[in-house]
Amino acid sequence: MTTIPQARPMPSDDLLATLEKTGRRKSRRRTPGGVAVDIVLVVFGIVMIAPLVWLIVQSLTVPEFAFASPPSWLPIPFTFENFADVLDYMPFFQQFGNSLLLAAVSTAGALIFSILAAYAFARIDFRGSRLLLVVMLSALMVPAQLVIIPIFIMMRQVGLVDTLASLWLPALINVFQIFFLSQYFKTIPRELDEAARIDGAGHLWILFRMLVPLSAPAIAALAILGFEASWNGYFGPLIFLSSPENMTLPLGLVTLQNGFGAAPAVVVFAAITMVVLPLLIVFLAFQRQIVESVASTGLKG
Amino acid sequence: MSSDTITARRPGALLQRRRAEAAGWLFVSPAVLLFLVFVAGPFVFAIALAFLEWDLLTPPEFVGLANFEQLFTDPELPQVLWNTFVFAFASIVTHLVLGLLLALAVNNLISRSIGYFARVAIFFPFLISWAAVSLLWKYVLDPTFGYVGQYAAMLGIELPNFLADPAWALPSIIVIDLWHTVGFTFIIMLAGLQTVPSELVEAARTDGATGRQIFWNVTLPLMSPTLFFATIITFIGAFQIFDPIQIITKGGPQGSTTTIIMYLYEKGFQAFDMGYAAAVALLVFVIIMGVTLLQFIGRRRWVHES
Repeated sequence: MTTIPQARPMPSDDLLATLEKTGRRKSRRRTPGGVAVDIVLVVFGIVMIAPLVWLIVQSLTVPEFAFASPPSWLPIPFTFENFADVLDYMPFFQQFGNSLLLAAVSTAGALIFSILAAYAFARIDFRGSRLLLVVMLSALMVPAQLVIIPIFIMMRQVGLVDTLASLWLPALINVFQIFFLSQYFKTIPRELDEAARIDGAGHLWILFRMLVPLSAPAIAALAILGFEASWNGYFGPLIFLSSPENMTLPLGLVTLQNGFGAAPAVVVFAAITMVVLPLLIVFLAFQRQIVESVASTGLKG
Repeated sequence: MSSDTITARRPGALLQRRRAEAAGWLFVSPAVLLFLVFVAGPFVFAIALAFLEWDLLTPPEFVGLANFEQLFTDPELPQVLWNTFVFAFASIVTHLVLGLLLALAVNNLISRSIGYFARVAIFFPFLISWAAVSLLWKYVLDPTFGYVGQYAAMLGIELPNFLADPAWALPSIIVIDLWHTVGFTFIIMLAGLQTVPSELVEAARTDGATGRQIFWNVTLPLMSPTLFFATIITFIGAFQIFDPIQIITKGGPQGSTTTIIMYLYEKGFQAFDMGYAAAVALLVFVIIMGVTLLQFIGRRRWVHES
């Protein structure tokens, strides 16, 4: 989807650490109002996670007892059968692999080209660089749906429709990343380059041995967001992919539910759970990095 | 002074200058090439397409301004644009208000465990793909399968069939979108709150300002750059809403949830009317640019610059 550039200052400390620090520093007394806020937040949190708990519970319930009224919040009677059934209806692991491959190639490829271009914009004074950057940045206002029509026609001409390449090739150019990284590189003192150059270092050494390691937090944030956008993408796969064995997981899930011989609801729920649970584990493990990448780049996928 | 101006005075400077030029273009060339093939080229191609009639099977035909004439006389388009603007407006209001309230609440929490729980519960749905979210909510709001309808029935309340009722389908999508995306707004607001200097809040408190006064006169004005950013980014995202609509309602019932990108998808990728789809896409481009520009013009009126 469209993104707009925002040269936000990178917070020196990460958001969650700041929150916890201020939390510790606060010597606030427990007021009745404070307790009310606690209760409201807990209730709101429960309402937010209720659909997810319900999802997991139904996927673990024997089909005849799932979706019962009154709603059950415990998987009784319990079964793993629905998960085994998923594999009869969709090539889950194939699609998981497709999603992983697509996200990895798009993210890594885009980052390499963005790093190279950002270095030129931040560190080399070449004629036309400013105009070039302005032209590229103005493209951020162009909605993805506008360019996807010609790209679809192009991909048809070269016979790449229904392949993952039709999705990762256009993802290799990411103007937002180029802009964000060149802004970040500019915050690193140029004197470091000069010193390295006197020692005989070339552009590639300065970029990959010095600037890239020094920009690790920014690059990690862009990698997380890029991976997330590709992993969850739906519009592109919907337009380009048609065979189940070539689909990514989001498209596979939707097809599972409305294709020919649609799967029963519990099987659909088991498949969604197989997508959501690993994500939850990854999120809980890398919560700090994920929240920080969203907060620092303010990028919506 | 940059290194180039220093070296320019030495002999052989021209050669060095040329070398810098070459290096610069060498580093940007892969990106420029990709940009031409996948952004600039398709953009020009899309504009050209809008003057053609092409179903991808028979050869394209030049039709002049016919697609634009169709755009301005399309009987379905007013409803589609209305749906899209209603969704975008509701999305901005609900996300900003709820996101800010949640950020304020979490920011003032004493209990770290409640803070952790609230943050995870509010933010995690944002990371789930729209595909999974849409399928899940289709069942949550289903009158027989879903727990919302089941609890209502136990209480003797008869709820509408949310996703099948033309009056309720779009509001339902608004609620689902809020559940999915409010975590993003919440994090942006939380980051924005950290930029409000605590000395100012303390100073106001020492001067006897009440909590409400501090919020309206200190916190909110200092948060205005964050609110501005959140407004723009929420508008751009909401105006292009597509995934949940294509998955849950397919634009129905009776066109009550057809938004502009859903319409573009129907015209371009179901009816294969590429020329008209390109014209619709250009309209989307113009509206998003126009509204964003208006917001930047209005920025001076309410955004506090430090």
